[in-house]
Amino acid sequence: MGSPPLFTLILALSALSLRAGDTLLIALTGAFSGGSATQGTSMRDGARLAIQEINAAGGIPVGRHHLRIRVLERDDEGKNERGALIAQELASMAALSGVIGTVNTGVALAGDKYFEHKGITKLVTPCAGSQCMAQWSRAGVRNLSIFRFGVNDGIQSAMAVAELTRRGLTRVALLHDSTNYGVSGRDDLLREIRAQGKVQVVALEKFNMGDRDMTAQLLKARTGGAQAVLVWGQGLEAAIIANGMAKLGLKVPLIGSSALASSNFTETAGRNGNGTLMPETFIEEPINPPVAAFLARFHKAYRVTRIAAPMAAAQGYDCVKIFAAAVQQAQSADTRRIKEALEDLREPVAGVIAIWRHPFSRWNPADLQTHEAFRQDQAVMGMVLDGRIVFSDPADRDRLSRATTP
Amino acid sequence: MDILSFGQLVVSGAFMGLVYALIAYGFQLTYATSRTTNFGQGELVTASALVALSITHLGLPYGLMLPCGLGFGALAGLAMERTAVRIALQEKSEGWIMLTIIVGLFIHSTCENIWGQADRPFPTPIPSEAFQVLGIAITPLELSVALGALGVMGLIELFKRRTLLGKAVQAVAADPEAAGLMGISARRAVMLSYALSGMVAALAGILVAPITTVGPPMASGLVLKAFSVAVVAGLDSGFGAILVGMFLGGLENLTSFLVGSGWRETPGLALLILTLAVRPNGLFGRAAIRKV
Repeated sequence: MGSPPLFTLILALSALSLRAGDTLLIALTGAFSGGSATQGTSMRDGARLAIQEINAAGGIPVGRHHLRIRVLERDDEGKNERGALIAQELASMAALSGVIGTVNTGVALAGDKYFEHKGITKLVTPCAGSQCMAQWSRAGVRNLSIFRFGVNDGIQSAMAVAELTRRGLTRVALLHDSTNYGVSGRDDLLREIRAQGKVQVVALEKFNMGDRDMTAQLLKARTGGAQAVLVWGQGLEAAIIANGMAKLGLKVPLIGSSALASSNFTETAGRNGNGTLMPETFIEEPINPPVAAFLARFHKAYRVTRIAAPMAAAQGYDCVKIFAAAVQQAQSADTRRIKEALEDLREPVAGVIAIWRHPFSRWNPADLQTHEAFRQDQAVMGMVLDGRIVFSDPADRDRLSRATTP
Repeated sequence: MDILSFGQLVVSGAFMGLVYALIAYGFQLTYATSRTTNFGQGELVTASALVALSITHLGLPYGLMLPCGLGFGALAGLAMERTAVRIALQEKSEGWIMLTIIVGLFIHSTCENIWGQADRPFPTPIPSEAFQVLGIAITPLELSVALGALGVMGLIELFKRRTLLGKAVQAVAADPEAAGLMGISARRAVMLSYALSGMVAALAGILVAPITTVGPPMASGLVLKAFSVAVVAGLDSGFGAILVGMFLGGLENLTSFLVGSGWRETPGLALLILTLAVRPNGLFGRAAIRKV
């Protein structure tokens, strides 16, 4: 009487193992709630869309199988300690093929060491400051499994300072938040300002996440005769700065990091946000058929007319496509082989930001670019106009369009 | 620093200080009748603002949203009294400290589960374009905070002084046992004070939300400063709370400008430590005389 249930159990376990063999387990992590949630949820939704498309097409061809992507989602709430716990949990999973995500620099600094230690491939997207990669260079890590898929702070800082120079502005106030992201961005900006040598910082002020009155910082900017305000922080605090500038009659350009391209900046700042500039890799405009198709699919899938953080959504989407291409090239779900494939991706990957040709190369601690996907020519200056992010320079529309046209 | 910058810092800070004062006044209302303070007051501020936001999203006009939001605040205050305070008072224990914190955490979690953790803008018909008074920029939003805070505190003080019910509350505040002998129910007076305190919290949330945005963490910073204001002013001085709140707001801005933005929170803490050391009953508080 005992053998039929045992047989059923063995059959069920075999079926389960067969199913597990046909799936590829990846984790999506990031701030899906809290102050950075706009970036995190948009990245997650873009990634989900790509996963849905890959699975709907039958999965990733590996040998005689087609691997369907199975996703674990973890919300780190933008909190460093929570990010560390999540990283420990994920790093202990033997079946995990890779991790995509992280919005906050502090979260990356607290958690990525667990992935690096276990050799688990991780693509950091959509934001996280340059420290999240520079730490590995400083530590002299020889064989790194962490990649970054976001326009790094160095490029963003160079663009922001170049914008000042282009406009002939020489006196600037630099306001940054007190998180790792803000401090790292401040250092990059100061380095860039010193390198260019044409701009003087007349006010260097910080603020905390959650601060809702920036009068003192802005008065210092005004007293110092600032001709522009540079801000490195999240969208909400930047919106408080934009509102404060309008209140004090400080009518100078506001230039920020890519984190400002989110609905919590545009909605909270309202008209006061108009004209604000930030480096972007993706603008929510149907600049060519592939981008228009992506936008239509995204809007339909999530029943929205605007993406809360378009750049984060596009990065999440392209990141999954690149990861899937690496799995296909490696012909394996093994995280170490995927990492090797990522370092030498032979086939171009058609994304909505670019057609990715060899985005990464073998890690060299002396050259961070080896594990950074973005180059300066992939970024453009975005500008807020009536609640939307548009191209600051219309000529950039063609440039980005060409990047995604085969 | 020129005089205009000084004026701007003080005025902007004072407006924010009035929000601290309004929340502090909520602490004082309950302390007066029951010698308890609601450590979940911040969560009442948040929950009421979120309920008001949802009412706005239903399409109800601001004029209707305001009484609904205040009504929710009053009900939430009553619920706090029933679940966290009454039992402790009956047992003559200090359990209300933990219980108000626990109920506050429960409200916080509920808010996160219903509305999520993200901060969101709070629509208001009050314009945000600044106007100048003697060269100092003031927004109608800031003015609405000031008028609302001072108005409701004035109305509650009038209610306490000019109405029979208000005088009953005052009587319980002065001597609960004597008030009871005169036929005044101390329990009802405490209930009323918690309802008023909840309403004040709701008003603070609704007034400040268009400036600060609304989300579960919105009151965490405000309520700590409000508690400092209540203690520094004295837990039985509404007028003192206004003065101390405005002073603290202005001082924060001046410190941020003169010393550095990283030192912004320091004056509140320094003021609290100094007051507790020098005048434990608060700058405007009365020393309690106890027969032994």
